[in-house]
Amino acid sequence: MSETAIQAETLKARSGPRLTVAPYVWFGPAILILFLVTLYPSIFVTWLSFQKTRYYELVGFVGLANYAEVLGSSAFWDTTFVSMTYVVGSLAGALILGMAAALVLNDAGRTGSVLRVFILFPWTLSMSVVGSIWLWLLNPSFGPIPYLMQTLGLDPGLMLGDPGLALPLIIFVTAWWSFPYVMVMATAAMQSIPKELYEAVEIDGGGPWIKFRYVTLTQILPTLGSTALTLSIMYLTLMTLIIVMTGGGPLGSTTTLSFEAFRGTIQAVNIGPTAVVSIVVLLINVALGALYTRLSGRVTG
Amino acid sequence: MSDDRPSGRLFGILASLLFAVIVLGPVAWALATSFKTEVEAVAVPPTLWPRMATLENYIKVFRDQSFFQDFWNSVAYAVGAVALALLVGIPAGYAAARFTFPGKKLLMLVILATSMVPGVALLVPTYYLLDSVGLLNSGIVVTIILSARIIPQTVWFIANFVEAVPVEIEESAFMDGATRFQIIWSLILPLIRPGIAAVATIGIVTTWNDYITVAVFAPEVAKRTLQVALVNQVFDAIGISWSYMMAFVMIASMPVILMFGFVQKWFISGLTAGAVKG
Repeated sequence: MSETAIQAETLKARSGPRLTVAPYVWFGPAILILFLVTLYPSIFVTWLSFQKTRYYELVGFVGLANYAEVLGSSAFWDTTFVSMTYVVGSLAGALILGMAAALVLNDAGRTGSVLRVFILFPWTLSMSVVGSIWLWLLNPSFGPIPYLMQTLGLDPGLMLGDPGLALPLIIFVTAWWSFPYVMVMATAAMQSIPKELYEAVEIDGGGPWIKFRYVTLTQILPTLGSTALTLSIMYLTLMTLIIVMTGGGPLGSTTTLSFEAFRGTIQAVNIGPTAVVSIVVLLINVALGALYTRLSGRVTG
Repeated sequence: MSDDRPSGRLFGILASLLFAVIVLGPVAWALATSFKTEVEAVAVPPTLWPRMATLENYIKVFRDQSFFQDFWNSVAYAVGAVALALLVGIPAGYAAARFTFPGKKLLMLVILATSMVPGVALLVPTYYLLDSVGLLNSGIVVTIILSARIIPQTVWFIANFVEAVPVEIEESAFMDGATRFQIIWSLILPLIRPGIAAVATIGIVTTWNDYITVAVFAPEVAKRTLQVALVNQVFDAIGISWSYMMAFVMIASMPVILMFGFVQKWFISGLTAGAVKG
């Protein structure tokens, strides 16, 4: 036993009987709140998924009927597909832009570190604000972006009102808002790479590409991986942007699983199917979260 | 990676500026619109800078009868939720760092697990439960729900910060007869202040920016926040005035913009804490 450990033990021993029960008391309030707000509703939603309801009045137990209804409907699979497209598309955009920004700003010296702060700034804006700003920039009647496209001889069309364009536009806005986060994480990881590794490559006559491929990328890959997981979890549950910009339309082209759970909560006649959708979102999220925990090894002793 | 040739440096700076324009351009356009008259905002061709800068949009926002109520609610929920998260998170984080007892690992795992349950999956059951006990539109309930969203990260971060403080410091204070409460209050808390600031900053931004929780559980005009008021205006598409909306957007973001300006270092360290292994 190390000296510090011995001292820690003495400290514990000397604080007397308080500590035999006390540790649990210290956790009590936090656990109580998490139980009421998160754990109990998680159990309750599972129970709800086996019930038939009418406007939040329970009608009766229906077994797996809600699951059969949801999983058997093509609308659910369309929604799942939209969710996946949204998550993967936004992630690709954010990772590419974020990495590019991190590399470029790392090379720009002091200018880079000043600009980095400015570039991170949209990350602090709320989704309602981001949605409103882009709704204004993209609105087909007076928006500057459709105007710019017209001047360039392009047909802007309905923008967010176009079923083929709405999801790509929402993905673009999501990537615009979130790539600064990738940039910050990648930069932090890049700054912790030992300089010697680059020097070693230089001695061996390796150029910038070799340095990037075999030092930078290899070293920051774990950070990029956990950042990608964090963002996937976030994208999967993001719906405010969709509420503000398209309301799930046009023609359901931007209806994701999370948006469906939101809409079901505020307007469903029978909330059983909404409970099933909620459970699907919950399970995917917990799976991604568990993967994140494993990869980043956050749980220790 | 750094390129010391002047041409390489110049390319880096130009490319960085391009990124800054991509990111700040849309925000700058929104800011410019907020100072335009309603007529100029929708003029074709659009004007880059307001030809006739006016504060009328901002005055209109402040004159709105529910504005100060919305603003106050936003402040109360955000500050209340972060204060509550720290109040319950500091003891739990401290205990996790300093005590060994059976079941500690399980407790910490449960706390971590709750951070993986997305708020959206809990909308239906929570709405049902609140509705059945008549607690919809309760400010206190919204504050507690928002707080629960940030408690897991608060506990984990505080535990990490406390672990970084050498236990010998506490040991000697103990010898001098200090109680544990005194030790935490006057030794530990001042030492981990930067960490607390980082967690609190991220917490304030998260809760101030929330739309869903308030919109679903407390949509009543007297209980809503600026974010909810903003989205309600978007839905009111017929009477929409873009210059007014952009002024609203600026005001609804102002507290977070100011805080970010002052504590961006803590904000960034809060984001990267635990995610990057040094």
